[in-house]
Amino acid sequence: MPEESPQLLPGTLYMLILRTLAAAPLHGYAIARRIKQCSADVLDVEEGSLYPALNRMLVKGWLRAEWGISDTNRRARFYRLTNEGRKQLAAETSEFNKLVSAIQLVLKTA
Amino acid sequence: MSNMKFIREFYLRLWWLFSRSRFRSELADEIEFHVESRAEELEQGGVARLEALARARREFGSKLKAAEDSSGPWQMRWLENLFSDLRYAARAFRRSPGFAVTAIFCLALGIGANAVIFNITTNFLFSQPSCRDASSLIAIWEGGNSALPVTDYKFLLDSHIFDGVAGLNVEREVNWRDGDRTSRFYAGLVTDDFFTALGIPFRMGRGIAPGEKNTAVLSYNAWHSKFAADPAILGRALMLEGRLYIVTGVLPANHRSIFGFGVSPDVYIPVTHDDDYVQLYARMPKGMTLPMATARVQSLFAQLDRIHPYEAWKRNSGTRVTHVTGFDLLNQMMPSVVTAFFAMLMIVAGLVLLIACANVGSLLLARASTRSHELAIRLSLGASRGRIVRHLLAESLLLAVIGSMAGLLIDAVCVNLIGKLDLPVPVPVHLVISPDWRLWWYSLALALTSALLCGLLPALKSLRKDVSDTMKQGERQTPRAWNIRSLLVAAQLAVSIILLATALLFVHNLLRVTSMDPGFDIHHTSWAYMRLVPDRYAGTNQTNQMALVHEALEQLRALPGVESAAITRRVPLNDNCVTGAPVTTDLSPTAIHVQYECNNVGPEYFHTIGIPILLGREFAATDRKGSQQVAIVNESFAHALFEKSNPVGHVITIKLQEQTSMLIVGVAKDSKYFTLGEKQRLAVYQPYFAFNEPVNLHFLIRTAGSPTSLTKEVAAVLGRLDPTAAIETKPMNQALALALLPSRIGAVMLGAMGILGLALAAIGLYGLLLYSVSRRTREIGLRVALGATPPAVLRLICRHSLALVGLGTLVGLALAAFAMQPLALFLVPGLSTFDPSAFLSVVGVLAVVALLATLAPGFRALRVDPITALRYE
Repeated sequence: MPEESPQLLPGTLYMLILRTLAAAPLHGYAIARRIKQCSADVLDVEEGSLYPALNRMLVKGWLRAEWGISDTNRRARFYRLTNEGRKQLAAETSEFNKLVSAIQLVLKTA
Repeated sequence: MSNMKFIREFYLRLWWLFSRSRFRSELADEIEFHVESRAEELEQGGVARLEALARARREFGSKLKAAEDSSGPWQMRWLENLFSDLRYAARAFRRSPGFAVTAIFCLALGIGANAVIFNITTNFLFSQPSCRDASSLIAIWEGGNSALPVTDYKFLLDSHIFDGVAGLNVEREVNWRDGDRTSRFYAGLVTDDFFTALGIPFRMGRGIAPGEKNTAVLSYNAWHSKFAADPAILGRALMLEGRLYIVTGVLPANHRSIFGFGVSPDVYIPVTHDDDYVQLYARMPKGMTLPMATARVQSLFAQLDRIHPYEAWKRNSGTRVTHVTGFDLLNQMMPSVVTAFFAMLMIVAGLVLLIACANVGSLLLARASTRSHELAIRLSLGASRGRIVRHLLAESLLLAVIGSMAGLLIDAVCVNLIGKLDLPVPVPVHLVISPDWRLWWYSLALALTSALLCGLLPALKSLRKDVSDTMKQGERQTPRAWNIRSLLVAAQLAVSIILLATALLFVHNLLRVTSMDPGFDIHHTSWAYMRLVPDRYAGTNQTNQMALVHEALEQLRALPGVESAAITRRVPLNDNCVTGAPVTTDLSPTAIHVQYECNNVGPEYFHTIGIPILLGREFAATDRKGSQQVAIVNESFAHALFEKSNPVGHVITIKLQEQTSMLIVGVAKDSKYFTLGEKQRLAVYQPYFAFNEPVNLHFLIRTAGSPTSLTKEVAAVLGRLDPTAAIETKPMNQALALALLPSRIGAVMLGAMGILGLALAAIGLYGLLLYSVSRRTREIGLRVALGATPPAVLRLICRHSLALVGLGTLVGLALAAFAMQPLALFLVPGLSTFDPSAFLSVVGVLAVVALLATLAPGFRALRVDPITALRYE
């Protein structure tokens, strides 16, 4: 199994990718860059884990891939969220929020 | 819905499996794009082009690993392994086509036989009606009866319990007048919106709409055979029963009626009288279950019993509700002996498949031992034993899959032929047999089972071998005389003995039935069925019907070559009527309860059909309505009621709904009434002209010469009397076809299975002997070199064959003697399932076949050249 990026909490990569794709379809490189930008350069998705993750999500039917033309006018593979993916994103986000607030609660009160 | 997810994932993976190479190149493109994009970004940050590219590559890491990790999620190891095993097996089969063809041939026969039997059974006994959502349909058995009056149908319809109610009566006949010809149709009477309530699909046109009284729907068969598949049939007027009907629709060729069992009337017309009877079907609303429907129907009938009670019976006692297909309906409609017969056929077909599997298993075993060298090499090169077993099982799976495809082909051909058969039955049966999902699943199950049966033994055996031993010995080991294969062949022979004995038993049964004396003359009589249009002779016109019958008999008797002619209510062995009632005689006041056959026959009946009158006289023209009630009884009846004394002149009193006393005027010889194999039954005949008879007239004509020569004239005479009557004539010996049908079906089906089983077992024996000769070439060569004569060599082979046949025969006979006992259910009484002479002939047949199977290997052994054989040393 490829190692997840040490900055990433385990299991959050799917959620981040799903969230990134929620607005519009993006290609793999753009996904990585977007995650980095949005996290103010804190989260760095390793290429070695990005593509296996994307393929796992394709198998699960959360994403759909199609070829298109990038901003730099090159052929690139764009990933689009499916309905299934949208449901997954909602589920994972609420799960994650619950978890985080619970952890914060512990950190504050204990 | 995790199931759905799983299936979708499976399909996605499957898609990936078939576009793997495209996936790989696309993934490489994608990674290349990623690296280039990163490099461009670095360039924009001021890094030189080459440096930027190098840095981007470094950052990305191993492209190969990324690609490998990315295709990982898609992979289905087991499926790919299976495919590679199957590919390997296919290659191996191409190298030894003789083996593959033999194995596939055996499996195709075995699976084909099973598929045919299964296909017929499911389509006949468990016919899926051509209706929308048949699972929500139910059949209603008011008081346990199959038919109820149309008034009760209307009551049920008005109750609005169900989403639709439909009534059908398939037991009607109608006369179709076409120009100046009249012929008979089997008709189905249907209630108002029968076709829409059941959602029956049409080939063209539509069903009978509510309120329509003069519209008709044709079956595909009638449309095809009677109207030459006229594409402009819709709107055409049909003269049925003297009334005009407009054709509104034609049913499709594969239409299966809701009645089931292949029953399919030629034409459907609307019910018009309230006193007609129909079988009721209803569609349950969503959410209603069978018990709920039963409760609703029962409470409704209880209500109906209070409002409109019947005198004789209650609607609500024994009322049942069943699905329109399945065991429930089967038990209601079919005699259990028919169901048991099909179950027996399935078992027999299973035995045939078992023999086929033993053949293939034996072939695979032989292959495994010639290939032991190859397997040993693969094992020593590091293949796991599980992998080898999987590979060997994949071989048998491939054989079984190809075999079952060929078997399905055999099924399609056979079923097509069977569908074209015109069965001599007095009901409109057109079996629509076609492969359906049940057959697919069944053959898939058969293929997997036979793959396991054939493949497991060789696969496991291959594991027990010691690798280094096998490597050293190579392929040149001498087999033991009694190995697994020999036992398999002996078992095959044993099973084929059972099959052959069963086949012979049924053939014997057919011969016995055919040679049975029906008790009347079938060689000089013919039968003319004249069906009148009921409306023409209804009510006061009944006298016209009697006049017509008299006139017909007079004209028939006047025909040259006709000895005598008579009318009868029922033709024996084609129609019967059994009554059970207490009977008293004027000799003793105590009533004896007897079951007897009843028939109403006209003057000269006994002379015409050739049943001797032993005492007294035949009915005369004076025995008619209004005159003294008289009867003729058969010997058995006379014996049951009067023992040794002469019953003629005595009076019997039969107590049915009302009491009837009849003077016995004659005693007729016993004959057969319903089946040829029946135990002797009692019979009472009454004069035909003493009753109001239905419009179905059965004339019997006795001729001096062959009855076939007169059938045309007979039909012409009757046709002139009433052109609207439908007339069918045939010689009496053809009329026996119905009585012989069950025995014929039994003999053909089981005979075919027996021959198939024997052929497969012979192939097995032949293959084993041939193989053992080829393996013992060196031994035989050595023996010949040491002075063995040809007879001695032949003895060697024959001894082996004899041992196998002997063991198989003994075991088979012992099993057959026990296993065949229940078959007595299907045979004429008196035919024993334990028939030593039959067993002897089975053994004889097997011995001849075994001899033939031994000859070729024997001669092969004789041709062994000691020099060549020993050169290998």
